[in-house]
Amino acid sequence: MRPNLQLLETSLIERIVDEALTVLEKTGVDLEGDEAIKRLLDAGLPVDATEKKIRFPRKLVEEAIQSSPSCVSLFNRDGDLHAQLQGESVHFVPASSALRVMDRTTSEIRDPTSKDLVEFAKVCDGLKNISYLATAFTPQDVPQDMADAWRLYLILAHSKKPVVSGAFTSYGVERMARIMAYFRKDREDLIQKPLALFTCCPNTPLRWGEDPLHNIIDCADWGIPIEIVPVLLLGMISPATTIGALVLHTAEVLSGLAIAQAIRPGTPVVFGGAPATFHMRLMTNPMTAVEALQIYCSYGQIARHLKLPSQAYMGLSDSKRNDAQAGAETGIGMFLAALSGINSVSGPGMLDYVNCFSLEKLVFDDELAAHALRFIRPVTVKDDLPTQELIAELIQERHLLTSEHTLQYWPEELYLPGPLIDRTNWDQWELAGSKMPRDQALEIIDEQLDNHEVEPLEPALHHEIQDLFRKTCKVKDVILPEFS
Amino acid sequence: MTDYAFMNQCLFEGKHEEVKKMTEEALAAGHPVQEVLEDGLIAGMRVVGEDFKHNRIFVPEVLLAARAMKAGMAILHPLLTENKDATPSEVIVMGTVKGDLHDIGKNLVGMMAEGAGFKIIDLGTNTSAAEFIAAVKEHNASILGMSALLTTTMIYMKTVVDAVKEAGLSSVKICIGGAPTGHKFAEEIGADGYAADAASAVELFKRLISEKTNASQ
Ligand code: B12
Repeated sequence: MRPNLQLLETSLIERIVDEALTVLEKTGVDLEGDEAIKRLLDAGLPVDATEKKIRFPRKLVEEAIQSSPSCVSLFNRDGDLHAQLQGESVHFVPASSALRVMDRTTSEIRDPTSKDLVEFAKVCDGLKNISYLATAFTPQDVPQDMADAWRLYLILAHSKKPVVSGAFTSYGVERMARIMAYFRKDREDLIQKPLALFTCCPNTPLRWGEDPLHNIIDCADWGIPIEIVPVLLLGMISPATTIGALVLHTAEVLSGLAIAQAIRPGTPVVFGGAPATFHMRLMTNPMTAVEALQIYCSYGQIARHLKLPSQAYMGLSDSKRNDAQAGAETGIGMFLAALSGINSVSGPGMLDYVNCFSLEKLVFDDELAAHALRFIRPVTVKDDLPTQELIAELIQERHLLTSEHTLQYWPEELYLPGPLIDRTNWDQWELAGSKMPRDQALEIIDEQLDNHEVEPLEPALHHEIQDLFRKTCKVKDVILPEFS
Repeated sequence: MTDYAFMNQCLFEGKHEEVKKMTEEALAAGHPVQEVLEDGLIAGMRVVGEDFKHNRIFVPEVLLAARAMKAGMAILHPLLTENKDATPSEVIVMGTVKGDLHDIGKNLVGMMAEGAGFKIIDLGTNTSAAEFIAAVKEHNASILGMSALLTTTMIYMKTVVDAVKEAGLSSVKICIGGAPTGHKFAEEIGADGYAADAASAVELFKRLISEKTNASQ
């Protein structure tokens, strides 16, 4: 049996979903952007164009849930299947879009550059427990109107793995889709074999802003899987209590899902989220707050009940530094996410309310992810029931170190952590140089950077993509930064 | 006789209707506007501010008190503007810049500033330089507050600063805020101030106003 965390009884899940459908039908969702609204009308959605609002008939949403795939497949740069978000599968992926990075040599918090992002891609590409990549932060050395697509290009140039990303403007998705299409035969091939998962955020409560709405439409058109990520702040822009928040959250996700399905039935949609509490004194938005964790785990259950893949911002910390708080928050979040069967767990590497990315933290989080994944492996009988014979052998031999049973099972049963989890005794530790986690992390980063290999893109392809940037960037004659 | 202590208490408890009524009654009883403002409203808000600082009350209580303050100010505002002997109540034009829909932080700043007696003209999100300028002119604003949460949109703040200068609105003070911005960025684009949260934003507004008043004296 796979260990499984459940916070809600099935009957309560049903009531929450039912109430969310009522909210969608009665209150409806506000929409922004005339062009996008027209697209929704053309797609047959019952939009009230003067009120700029959709009230979703219950049946429409129920059918949209049916037409959403229960498995979202992500393919790598070469077009090979890489990950399947479905059922109780768990994948860890770096959090996306930080504003700043923590410099790995000086620990200074500063603006990210293109070189930082390439380093990130190389390091992350080699981490065993981070399933795919994300556009973790936004380089500041390019004109910002092209920054969203530039990040994606840098990642794709240095890793074959799929990417979690998203656009910053109403027109952002299309340029990013065109870049991804270079890695496929044609547009149809990209739809069949998606290379990225894009975040689209409703504007809580129950609004779709112009940019995210355009983004959903463009993603659906290009077959890009969409993770719908409401950001409720409990007590501020959401009921402070769990059930109320879950109803609002669910309604918002389903509204995005229904829109995506109307544009192109079968568009892969992931039930995502980044709920946080609202700190009643500091006015900050901790995503790692214990009540937020309850919301994450609960909506994971709701997603599974609806047979939709899930995503959550859970393996991260709101601490400013790679300190005890960072380790605790990240580890707790990752274990709860894994136990809840969240399919795509965003977070590794992130600090400070998704504002600051740390490479050092990323490699540490890779180790935490290994632990969480190990923990949820189903417990099964392994020639150890009945046990009497094994115990007899132990008593006779005084140990089982050389037993057939041990030799067969220990390599897969007893996980040996990497150097970041210190298992030395005091003397061993001193003898090895009294290293702190940070020293170990830096060594791992250097090693990853030295050993990283990925088939480089053809110069002609670099050229073509960079040309696309030059042509579409709002800054005339833009000079693209060197990055490798 | 107006019981200012009781009025302060009502304000502290966020009883906006009572505060409004008491403000009207105090004026009807012939108390000077400036006195009603200072002894009736500001004195109450001072306690709110102190208690918030010392963790005795939290954001919801502050906002309830701010709403009561706003109710009282709605009565006083026109009189303060007319009355030459009174300190005019200052107008702040607030908005999230073009291309950006994040408004949670901006709204909090607005509500907190109302609690300090400022009049807020909220332009919402996705605000262009032209809209900022038009509102500053129309309301004769002393402060222009801009919010941006995206690296793609924060650069638009510079566009606004330049446009405001070009429009010859040299007396309006420009303040900025939002996670990607900062003191350094404010300086770079020629804004007059940056604040990291709503409480310090209000401090910043007050400081800029008093600097302005001192400079003009
Ligand atoms: C909530 C949130 C949202 C909500 C916004 C809801 C709303 N009505 O505002 C939703 C979900 C809609 C959203 C959407 C998006 N978001 Co957003 N969002 C956030 C988040 C998590 C929190 C912001 C927040 O409200 N904080 C709480 C408030 C109280 O704090 P605050 O805003 O900082 O405000 C305080 C101070 O800054 C200051 N202040 C603020 N304004 C002002 C103004 C003045 C004058 C002064 C003096 C002070 C001041 O006082 C405030 C109160 O204390 C941030 C990350 C973060 N932690 O900042 C990302 C973040 C800003 N978002 C991000 C992104 C990418 C997006 C999207 C593009 C995602 C997408 N692809 O759809 C869209 C934006 C579309 C658009 N065109 O705008 C990125 C930005 C990345 C980048 N490089 O620019 C961030 C950093 C998260 C991340 N790492 O991915 N988002």
